[in-house]
Amino acid sequence: MHSVVRPNSWVVIKLPSGVTKVLSIAPNTTISLGKYGSFPANLILGRPYHVTYEIQDKRPDENFSRLRIVPASELYEEVFAEEEAAGCSTLNPETVAPAADAAEITLVDDESGEVVTRSTQELIETARQTLTQDEIEELKREGNNAGKDVIAKLLESHTALGQKTSFSLAKYKLLKQKKYIRRFQILPMDAATLAHWQLEERESSKIMEMRAEMLALVGCWGNVHYGGEDVFLEDPKARSEQGAAALAEIQPDLLKGRWLVVDDTGGLLVAAMAEQMGILNSEDEEGGELKIGDAPEGPDITESAPAEEKQDADTEMADAAEGVAALPEKPKAPKPRPSDFEIPFSQTNTITVVHGASQPNLSFLSYWDFDAVSPNHPPHPLLNHLLTLSWLQLLKPELDTSYSTPPLTATLEVLSSWKPSRRGNFHRKRRRFARTRHIVDSTRAGGFNGLVCSSTMDPTSILKHTLPLLAGGAPVAMYSPSLEPLAVLADLFSVSRRTAWSSGTLPELAGKTTEELENWQGSENFPLNPMLLLGTSIQTSRTRRWQVLPGRTHPLMTERGGTDGYIFTAWKARPAEGKVAARGRFKRKADGATTETEDAKRAKAEESPAVESADTATPAR
Amino acid sequence: MASTVKQEVSPFLDPGSLTKANSLAVIQLSRDNFVPVYLKQIDGEHDGYAEGAVLNTRFGSFPHSTLIGVPWGSQIRASKVDTGSRGRKRKRQGGDDATEGASSEANESKNQKSDQANADSANGTKPPLATDTSGFVHVLPPTPEIWTTSLPHRTQVVYTPDYSYVLYRLRAKPGSTIIEAGAGSGSFTHASVRAVYNGYPSEGKRAGKVVSFEYNEERYHKMQEELQEHGLKDIVHLTHRNVYKDGFLLNGKSPEADAVFLDLPAPWEALHHLSRRDPKKDDGNQTEWISPLHPKKSAHLCTFSPCIEQVTKTVSVMRRLGWIDIEMVEIANRRLHTLRDRVGLNLQVDRGVNNSPRDVEEALTRLTEIEDRFREQARPPKAAGEDTEMGEDGSVKQEDPAEDPALNGKPKSEAPKPGPKFPWQDGRLITRGEPEIKTHTSYLVFATLPIEWTEEDEAAAAAKYPVGEQKQVVGALDRKSRKEERREQLQNKAAGSRKTRKKERDEKIAEIVTPS
Ligand SMILES: C[S@@+](CC[C@H](N)C(=O)[O-])C[C@H]1O[C@@H](n2cnc3c(N)ncnc32)[C@H](O)[C@@H]1O
Repeated sequence: MHSVVRPNSWVVIKLPSGVTKVLSIAPNTTISLGKYGSFPANLILGRPYHVTYEIQDKRPDENFSRLRIVPASELYEEVFAEEEAAGCSTLNPETVAPAADAAEITLVDDESGEVVTRSTQELIETARQTLTQDEIEELKREGNNAGKDVIAKLLESHTALGQKTSFSLAKYKLLKQKKYIRRFQILPMDAATLAHWQLEERESSKIMEMRAEMLALVGCWGNVHYGGEDVFLEDPKARSEQGAAALAEIQPDLLKGRWLVVDDTGGLLVAAMAEQMGILNSEDEEGGELKIGDAPEGPDITESAPAEEKQDADTEMADAAEGVAALPEKPKAPKPRPSDFEIPFSQTNTITVVHGASQPNLSFLSYWDFDAVSPNHPPHPLLNHLLTLSWLQLLKPELDTSYSTPPLTATLEVLSSWKPSRRGNFHRKRRRFARTRHIVDSTRAGGFNGLVCSSTMDPTSILKHTLPLLAGGAPVAMYSPSLEPLAVLADLFSVSRRTAWSSGTLPELAGKTTEELENWQGSENFPLNPMLLLGTSIQTSRTRRWQVLPGRTHPLMTERGGTDGYIFTAWKARPAEGKVAARGRFKRKADGATTETEDAKRAKAEESPAVESADTATPAR
Repeated sequence: MASTVKQEVSPFLDPGSLTKANSLAVIQLSRDNFVPVYLKQIDGEHDGYAEGAVLNTRFGSFPHSTLIGVPWGSQIRASKVDTGSRGRKRKRQGGDDATEGASSEANESKNQKSDQANADSANGTKPPLATDTSGFVHVLPPTPEIWTTSLPHRTQVVYTPDYSYVLYRLRAKPGSTIIEAGAGSGSFTHASVRAVYNGYPSEGKRAGKVVSFEYNEERYHKMQEELQEHGLKDIVHLTHRNVYKDGFLLNGKSPEADAVFLDLPAPWEALHHLSRRDPKKDDGNQTEWISPLHPKKSAHLCTFSPCIEQVTKTVSVMRRLGWIDIEMVEIANRRLHTLRDRVGLNLQVDRGVNNSPRDVEEALTRLTEIEDRFREQARPPKAAGEDTEMGEDGSVKQEDPAEDPALNGKPKSEAPKPGPKFPWQDGRLITRGEPEIKTHTSYLVFATLPIEWTEEDEAAAAAKYPVGEQKQVVGALDRKSRKEERREQLQNKAAGSRKTRKKERDEKIAEIVTPS
């Protein structure tokens, strides 16, 4: 998050009704908030987030409205008045009329405005309000005092007001305020606000109805966090006539802090994770944000440079650099240009997205100025930390053209005889080849530190192919809007399955190596190797919001419905080789009778929902 | 303590791929039973064990040497240990206790902090230990989630469903500075360290940190020890202090926090320290007062209180101090268990199996059979051979009854088939909640405090972004999203969505009151 609104950044505008709008703040434009009014964008640029603005009346000599920051004391005026009124125990007749009128309470059922009954409409229609609509219009046109006048007049003229309880009156006022007060707030764009906006104002199905609670839980159970300082592979300095043999080798020891992700929320999940890993936002101009992504400049910058023509290409380094060199205002970089086979990705702190279509759908990342499929991207931390590959590339790379087609090669002489556009193409293809190879090979090398999913695909099939890629002890966190797919998954790890598997008596396991078992491709009885996950568990969370007002504190009367959402969590295990006995230490009782084995006891302990109190566990300290 | 040694990265933040000596590991005994163990490489006899440090659990004994240098997640078999003098000393109890063994080991560790710098190299030289068939455990890297369920409770703690949501709402991310009071048992502390971590502090970099306060001296010391052992001392700055009275500055300097979490009995008594200017002074004389908040970032605050009265008070004070977007929520979290609901007459009698009819048809079949049996008994005996053998639910029947297919209406073979041959496929898959659930933990109050915006700031911004040059572009919504919105509205209308209806209603009301 940046501390002030920057030009052309995406922000969220929150209106008094609670409605949020997402827009990009372009300088020298006018922002219109519909019935709330409009104002020049420049008045919020360079200004702080979260403050409440009020659209003021136009000055006589200006053709636009200026903004005013509303101090909190003014925002809470009414609450303070009420608190004071309550404090001196005599009700202020101006704001609170004691007469109870139950029917009135339905007038504005709750402050979310959700439920307005038919009778309420009739009530309003019969308009116990003496102001004519013309008069109201006139008031609005005069627009004095940013709508507050209208509210005051409306309240004043409302003949039934005297019958209102303070309860209904406050609600009435609140509703009126939402309609007429020309106030708004600017919120920074982050995963939480984006999720909220999608859920409330847009299509919640696009983000698989993932609520804040679920995004938060998945992040924690997936142990998503900053995965270490950037490490880059050394440029193999591949010459143009060199092929795949010149690629930089994957160094498994360098790979650290990597999360494997399946995201069918259009990139919301990736955005939330990237935020938690510090790779979503570029650094703040104030220096408040951490500095990340000190990566080699993306060589892609050269790709569409038309100025290439003028350059002579005696060396391929110059070749790669020519696009940049052609821009006169940019000083030539002192360091040698990277070769086509240089890998721009950090080996640490990365997100690897496996996608089902040929391109990943991460369109929500555009709200953070990132386009996952743009070939020519300005610097962005995700460029060096987000790796994407298709399931085909992961599982059958030999069938994927961009992976399996050998790179173009050409000697320098041949190269220099080509037209610049052809040369550009040549380099671009080689670069793409090197990257694809790196992404696929490093992913297949496994050792991921966590698996996080929010996918419409069957979780069992996802795990079948991803479990072998996880490091021992790595967490798995899978979200689903409905319980059933996760229940089916959890059942595959039931105690009876595990017991049978490890009994050493199953013929289908006979003679299998540890590696074969780790890469278990599934059988009718065992779709997954049940020993590969520990502590499998399903949970759901739901927040309940409350209204807190003097004397009127209660849970909100309606909340958004939809799904609750569920998550499945576990840790990757590394089963010991061979049969593992677990007869328990105290097998024999005093009388010598054989009691149940520890296996059976464990089975009981795990199957019955009763949980041993973890609190009794004293740490070893 | 080896304070001169370079700070090892905490196993919470980067456990590496193998378990290490002198580092925390978590031993998983059964699904919800975790024992944190500080692994020690001790050559030679220790505490009566020839094998050095040993973890005793009800699944057997696990010398630390078998737990060190293995990949995380490994399943470890128990070892036969030479209990030596210890075995004789210790009277064996029927009630096993993993934790007892572990904690007595731990206490020992304080006297045993010999130089173990080379402990890692001991891997290859371990004497072979005989496997004990008593059982196995798994060794997991510590995470805040596991730690929260296995840490030594000294206070009420904040659990994962709450802290995950709190950190999310506080916008805690790598590089953030979060103030926490009181530290209590450190559950929230560990979760927030993970959230703000962006490397250990070094020059030229603003590293995320947790600025924590604890008033209770004993808890303060315990926490300090823990932070040391967990390699988190450089990221968590813990202070022994009464924050009501003495606020949140560190040596008179601002920690420049952008997030605050208060888990205190009376958060409102600490709030006045969390302003941007001295709330007690209205005049311009603010020079001596230093705010603990970051001057250029909005501050996000959460208070955690079990009682509604605390909430009311807190919210009231928040409003007076200028906090905005105040919102109170509660979180209900449930764990769900999956099991096989096994009901049926023809299922094997087993634990958890309900040997009653699985459906009306099965009941009918059975009742018919019983009727048949009665009739059979009442009737004079027939010639042998006319009776058909009953195959499939012999287990529930005492006798060998006969069945008349004509009476039954269908041949026996069409009756419910025996279930799958494996018990784990029997029955219907169902989910259940836990028998006891946490219905209330605490109320979470969230609020935001924007930065201060002075007239000079405004003047500077106004000079940078002058008005009056607005092009005719009047873009409330960009075209793309407007189009999308329209499309959605159409869709919603078709679907008759609640939102659309609500919108229409609102508009109608608005029109009635003030047609525009
Ligand atoms: C409920 S516990 C916090 C638990 C912690 N959030 C956790 O997750 O483990 C509250 C702690 O606040 C401490 N405390 C109470 N008043 C305090 C004060 N005025 N200043 C500092 N700490 C205080 C108490 O000693 C106690 O340890």
